Amino acid sequence: MPLEIQIQKALSPQNAGAVTVKLTGSLDTATAPELERQLAPVLAGPVKDLVFDLAQLKFISSAGLRVFSTARKQLKERGGQASFIHMQPQIQEVFEIIKALPGVAIFKDMAELDRYLAARQRSHQENQ
Amino acid sequence: MTLDLSATPEEVMRAVEALQQFGQAKQVPEKVLFGLALALEECGSNIVNHALQRDPHRKFRVAFEHTGDAVTIELRDPGPEFDPAAAPAVAAAADHDDRSPGGWGIQLVRRYMDDICYRREAGQNVLRLTKHLTPTKAQK
Repeated sequence: MPLEIQIQKALSPQNAGAVTVKLTGSLDTATAPELERQLAPVLAGPVKDLVFDLAQLKFISSAGLRVFSTARKQLKERGGQASFIHMQPQIQEVFEIIKALPGVAIFKDMAELDRYLAARQRSHQENQ
Repeated sequence: MTLDLSATPEEVMRAVEALQQFGQAKQVPEKVLFGLALALEECGSNIVNHALQRDPHRKFRVAFEHTGDAVTIELRDPGPEFDPAAAPAVAAAADHDDRSPGGWGIQLVRRYMDDICYRREAGQNVLRLTKHLTPTKAQK
């Protein structure tokens, strides 16, 4: 199964600084390098909040978790955050087994995420 | 079913897809099949990345079997002797070394498989993974 990657910036006014990465298909040993390649320019930029929309992600292996873990660490270093939304149960189970991503935020829906990101945006602005 | 694969990530996923089709044809429950596919992906990736150094000219073999109350996956590779089942469990919440051979991978395999059996045979690593399908044994 291939991996489709869609990167979107500033989906709504509340989270103007956030970048959303929508993944469709399988994030595995063959497809993880491509995600890493596409995230590199995003992470090199000023983004503080990265949201991974996993609604259409059917499969994940440790190769995929490593890409998320690297992104999380880079964001954390600049006071940022990796968030995950719409995780399917079997994908969430993999995250829970490995516990590789401490402190990441997992949300069920966009409304919950928007509230969280809006609060974080205010916090970033207050800290500047 | 037996597959001879070149040591590349794409070939690992070819084996995973073949296992998924095999499992669907045998009506293996989706949740169980997810775990089987993941275990194969992790073990196959370790063979490609570590045992066979991503050399596309080198080969490894994967076989799967459905016996009615269990699915077994057997992986054979000609790499240096290495027993992934003997690898220590990685401490949770530690900062993981991404180069350690299958730290997270073996953790996932242990979680989804009921039995992991390694042997060295005629210069090959042979890894046999078993998942029981009957409710009394598959309590994970």
